[in-house]
Amino acid sequence: MKQSDLSELKRIVGENNVKSDPADIYIYGSDSSVHTALPWAIVRPETAEHVQEIVRFANKKKIPIIPRGGGSGMCGQTVPIKGGITLDMKQMNQILEINLPDVYCRVQPGVVDDDLNMALKQYGVFFPPTPASSRIATIGGEIGNNASGVRSVKYGATRDAVLGMKVVMPSGEIADFGACTRVEASGYQMHKLMVGSEGTLGIVVEATLKFVPIPEFRCLGIANFDSLRDAGKTVGDIMASGANPSMLELVDSIAIKAVNKTMNLGLKEVDAALLYEADGMVVEAVDYEIKKMQEICKKNNGKDLKASYDPDERAKIFLGRKKLFPALSKFDDALASTSLADDMAVPYSKMADMAETIHKVAKKNNIVMTAYGHCGSGCMHTKILMDTNRKDQWASAKKAITEIYDYVRSVHGTTSAEHGIGLSKAESFKAEKANSLDTLRTIKQALDPNNILNPGKMMQAPEDWVTATDLRYSITS
Amino acid sequence: MKNKPIKFNNLKKWESTLASCIRCGYCFEHCPIFKSTRWESDAPRAKVIMSYGLVSGNLEPSDYIAEKLFSCFFCKKCETACSSGVSLTDIFIDARKDLIEAGFNTPGTTSLTKKECVVCLACVKECPYEARSIINNKIVVDPVICKSCGKCVEVCPTGAAILGLNFGTSKEELKNEASDYLTKSKETKIIVFACNWSYFPDLQSSKLPETEDKNYKIIVNMCGNRLEKEMLIDAFLNNAKGVLVACCPDGDCEHKGNEKAESNVQYVKNLLKDLDMDPEKINLVQIKNGDKSGFQAEIDIFVDKLSGNK
Repeated sequence: MKQSDLSELKRIVGENNVKSDPADIYIYGSDSSVHTALPWAIVRPETAEHVQEIVRFANKKKIPIIPRGGGSGMCGQTVPIKGGITLDMKQMNQILEINLPDVYCRVQPGVVDDDLNMALKQYGVFFPPTPASSRIATIGGEIGNNASGVRSVKYGATRDAVLGMKVVMPSGEIADFGACTRVEASGYQMHKLMVGSEGTLGIVVEATLKFVPIPEFRCLGIANFDSLRDAGKTVGDIMASGANPSMLELVDSIAIKAVNKTMNLGLKEVDAALLYEADGMVVEAVDYEIKKMQEICKKNNGKDLKASYDPDERAKIFLGRKKLFPALSKFDDALASTSLADDMAVPYSKMADMAETIHKVAKKNNIVMTAYGHCGSGCMHTKILMDTNRKDQWASAKKAITEIYDYVRSVHGTTSAEHGIGLSKAESFKAEKANSLDTLRTIKQALDPNNILNPGKMMQAPEDWVTATDLRYSITS
Repeated sequence: MKNKPIKFNNLKKWESTLASCIRCGYCFEHCPIFKSTRWESDAPRAKVIMSYGLVSGNLEPSDYIAEKLFSCFFCKKCETACSSGVSLTDIFIDARKDLIEAGFNTPGTTSLTKKECVVCLACVKECPYEARSIINNKIVVDPVICKSCGKCVEVCPTGAAILGLNFGTSKEELKNEASDYLTKSKETKIIVFACNWSYFPDLQSSKLPETEDKNYKIIVNMCGNRLEKEMLIDAFLNNAKGVLVACCPDGDCEHKGNEKAESNVQYVKNLLKDLDMDPEKINLVQIKNGDKSGFQAEIDIFVDKLSGNK
């Protein structure tokens, strides 16, 4: 970046809020995805006015801007494939208002999810999307990716919890979208469009969010299955029965083995396990839901059923799922756990087929893949464990991912349930949205004619994710 | 990026571990250095990324990188939070060895000895890690071994022992943080000094609305060992309603900071008594590492007691 441009950025936000050392650029060039590409500078705005001034400057100079929250995205949304300014939003971290009578709160985009929930807890309410990364994920990042988590089956995703927002548009002007009311039918629901737009249409500088009461009672249960198919069918049967779980998680045999191998948890090594939870304000209502789900588990050959309201017991039941992330990372010293094809969603009736397809495709392509996830909301997570130094493993992963997404689309599923598209999933995304890509491109062109906001992502991303950017691993053979 | 020949022999053994870091960023949350600067470049993940960059040849070593890798208070909260079980601080130590070998040696948070040193050897005796020694009648610090605990700073009679960088943890910075809070508040407030091992039970990275102002502020003082009488008294001179000190339980503090904190709190209690003030205005609580809810309960009890609610 030219010195004069850096000087202008420093003038706008102050000397201490601009970085351009090669080390900073290298650090901000990656996130939790496999990709890496270097920004030209990192800039921290502290106010909406700073964001406006930076955007106006970048628009005039046609410099890309990539808004970034916690940098925990898994598909390369914040990896600056075209270079430019990484806009670190973490300094805009003020919870502006907690409005209990009107049941909403207003926050700046850099507020961390867990912090917001800590502030809300004293009032007996919570902000429900709660992705697994809530300890680092910012509200701005959650909006950008329409994040959700284990309880999305009951409480929905970020899009469901956003009532309105202030957005700096690519022109530098501020637009107010949505309202602070629970419903709105006043024209285009632009705030809903902004959710999941991955920073390509505008930069959120304030969000109005709804919250919901923290339930008085929470009961978590587990059921083991000798057949992955039975477990998958149980998920579909539970959701079709009208039951209202607050969590419905599937864990496959590879995941169970990984947890046992690395954490020595001594879990029963069955083909699959289901975790089911119900919550509510009345214990009888929670009991009803748990019993209903347990009956369906039994009908589908579920065994070793147990459930508990006790927080310690619940923590024990959930431990295997909780430890899955580190377990997969430590599964084999020669294999790294990569976030690829990591969050597809399929209709409930296809859940068992989906899990089996993942296993078959992994075996065929000589890589290790596990299937787990928030199956109650249709979301299946995977992790690909591979020797990231080997070129042939990347080729196998690429082939496997294409085959998995081919299956997802063949059953009318979707490429991403909660992590977004970014760079890693462009190939399947473009195939899935083939007949609406022109519309998406028209929207982008209309709002951002100079293509300065997070260019090269989603419909603009290269189809071959392996060569789209450098990979953040050393490929030596 | 081109891969250059690997020169970083100590880091090399961590290559697969560095690749196995999934870069989730869970290590940010409690890192006192990240919380001080709020730049990702100062978070533990950045140190992993830089180490990987060095070992893979994608990043050239520099003083800037050395300063980052020599800055760590070894509270190991990043390791507790790490979703991949990466031994972060062991990696940082090996990175330091390699950087020194490559000629990059910036102090970061490690301790230094200024020219005022009278070579009394108090710091050498006090250092729990044997990072300080005497060579040619001069005190020298091994920056690979130094864990920036600050014990040398506290025992040095001339102020010659200092930490290179403090990230808000120096005596002056802590005093200023407390006095700013106390003098700007319309009502009298409480200061809670929390050692960095106490996992302070508050918002980690965000700010509450102004309308939600609490009647206390938690200030992280790294270790009870570094909490001096002067800082406790200074809070009362700035009209603090009370001071709560949190430190590790007996036997848990590797710097025996809890013993020093207890003796200082007792000293101030006696002082308050002598001044006909309520000695209960200052109290010490021992908090187990990670016990956030226990800590919050102790704060609530202290606040309620001083507010006359109990």
